[in-house]
Amino acid sequence: MTLPAEIWYDIQRHIFIYFLLLLVVLSAFSVIYFTHLNRQTTSSLEVLLTERDELDIEWRNLLLEQSSLAEHSTIESKAEKLLQMKRPNVNSEIIIK
Amino acid sequence: MKKQVDKYQQISVAWRFYVVVALIVLVYAGLLARSAYIQIVEPDMLKKQGDMRSLRTTAHTVQRGSIVDRNGRELAISVPVETVWADPKIVMENKALEMKKHWQALADVLGRDVNKLTARIIKNPRKRFVYVERKVSPAMANYIKELKIPGVHLRKESKRYYPSGESSAHVVGFTNVDDKGIEGVERVYDQLLTGVDGNKKYRKDAKGRKIEILSEKTSTQPKDITLSIDQRIQAIAYKELKGAVKAFKATSGSVVVTNVNTGEILALVNSPSFNPNNRRNTAIHRFRNRAITDFYEPGSTLKPLTALTALEFGSAKANSIIDTNPGWMRLGGRRVSDPINRGKLSITDILVHSSNMGTTKLALSVPKEYLLDKFFDAGFGEETGIGLVGESSGIMHDRQRWSKFELATLSWGHGVASTPLQLARFYSTLANGGVKKPLTIIKNGTLDTLPIADERIFSRQSSQEIVEMLEDVVNDHTPNAKVDGYRVGGKTGTAIKAFAGGYGNDYVGLFAGMAPISNPEIVVVVVINEPGGDLYHGGEVASPVFSRVMKGALRVLNIAPDAKRVAENQADSNKKTLNKTNIKKEQADV
Repeated sequence: MTLPAEIWYDIQRHIFIYFLLLLVVLSAFSVIYFTHLNRQTTSSLEVLLTERDELDIEWRNLLLEQSSLAEHSTIESKAEKLLQMKRPNVNSEIIIK
Repeated sequence: MKKQVDKYQQISVAWRFYVVVALIVLVYAGLLARSAYIQIVEPDMLKKQGDMRSLRTTAHTVQRGSIVDRNGRELAISVPVETVWADPKIVMENKALEMKKHWQALADVLGRDVNKLTARIIKNPRKRFVYVERKVSPAMANYIKELKIPGVHLRKESKRYYPSGESSAHVVGFTNVDDKGIEGVERVYDQLLTGVDGNKKYRKDAKGRKIEILSEKTSTQPKDITLSIDQRIQAIAYKELKGAVKAFKATSGSVVVTNVNTGEILALVNSPSFNPNNRRNTAIHRFRNRAITDFYEPGSTLKPLTALTALEFGSAKANSIIDTNPGWMRLGGRRVSDPINRGKLSITDILVHSSNMGTTKLALSVPKEYLLDKFFDAGFGEETGIGLVGESSGIMHDRQRWSKFELATLSWGHGVASTPLQLARFYSTLANGGVKKPLTIIKNGTLDTLPIADERIFSRQSSQEIVEMLEDVVNDHTPNAKVDGYRVGGKTGTAIKAFAGGYGNDYVGLFAGMAPISNPEIVVVVVINEPGGDLYHGGEVASPVFSRVMKGALRVLNIAPDAKRVAENQADSNKKTLNKTNIKKEQADV
């Protein structure tokens, strides 16, 4: 089925306007698409930022735990009591240069 | 018939047509009017409704900066915690108290009695805010959140922890409830430690996701403060000091450890101390950083300064002999004396026996102004540059008239009062070959502060001579202060405590010294205030603490032993076995 000649004629006469119309539609959809994309990216960025904050909090708590476990005097007394380690006295000390 | 129909149609069409057109126009006009009304006349209400459903603001709270020691160990750290609070009105409206099991669980996790807990909340049902528990851990907070009791909410807060506890409490200081530093380093560097909170305005979608960031105020991160303190030495010093203060029944005590070459303070401890993590029911006097606020007459620990002054002026040489016969003398009607007549003494002997006669003669051998200038130069009567709150500059009178007797008392460290920190500064200067450096509590190079110029106040040669004499003092007179394997120098001091109107029965035992003598690195000053037992002399109460702290510090800083005896032993044992060497090597690495 072919279009009547006068419609063809009409299309040819306004081809530029039809082209612009197409562009308008395209741009409208791309706006929608990119807005959507933007929102998705923003939301996943925010999720990551929240995750970072949570990790920071965890890190701080771990630091606390570490500093209480690795207290100098605690380790020294544990080394002495559990592992029977002792400080070498002066006479058994050898200095390597 | 047809004509009739046409006519009928025509009439009916025209009539209905206008009605329909009018109706449609009316509908559209109505819609137009309505949308114009919404859009132009009163758009705010709908905007507000929309924003209420989608617009949110979150605050981005910045934690207070950490305070770390020179090796990066945390001395103060902020951790976000949650505070549980209740809205009694909502609790009552929702009849939340009927959720017995939930309340029981809440009380259990908080370690409280459930009846007391609920009674507190419903005491005033019209109130809108009651604290349930402040600063709970994140795990606990999650559990409470899961209970979903209507009217019980969580709020973010920040809690400051001091992992090093008592030992560094005075230096680090603490913050108040509002996270403002009110003591110590926390106060001095409060501005640097405090960041600025940011916030974020965003739109959320129906599922609560953030889909559009509308505006953002970025937060400013605070700075971390790196102290010059070495927490390992600090812990050793505190342990030893606490033990000594208890053993000698002393009122208080302070230890200062400094790095001679840089003027950095490696340890600064006081006893009694307090627990900065829980300051409830702590006596106020415990908060005082005595090493910088309290001053004592330094007693004989200043005798090296008198001797140094005489050497500097040239009125005595290192090998000069001073005649202290007959062991006493009169100065303007006052008597200066030694316990026994010690006869002729070298300068070393004067320091070893702590002869008052000797230092008096040395002090009177130089002009008055010169002596006083050297005392001021040594830093007595001025601040040490540490910059902590409440630092006292001691007492060193700047007056024209000094009687000979007053100069004599000055020569053995009375009539002048200094903080333990000032004394540490003088000994650091001495150990540093006469170059006076400002003391600092901040690790060098971590804060962009203007460096204060060093100042040479004694010649290298005389300082060196005095330092070597101090080694003899320890070897001949204060065996308590010795450290195996190292050459140690120092001077004891025992001062009778002065109060308004005279001297009482209380003593202050001091010891100040340095090691290793071959190339001094560390100065340790120990002050034991008002020892209550039978022992009170500086050589008895302070020097054992000095010895242990010095030993610990030398070990921690990995400073090689410099005593001869060690070198010989080393040669011997080197021959023995190779195997042993390997073991030691591993230990040395650790």
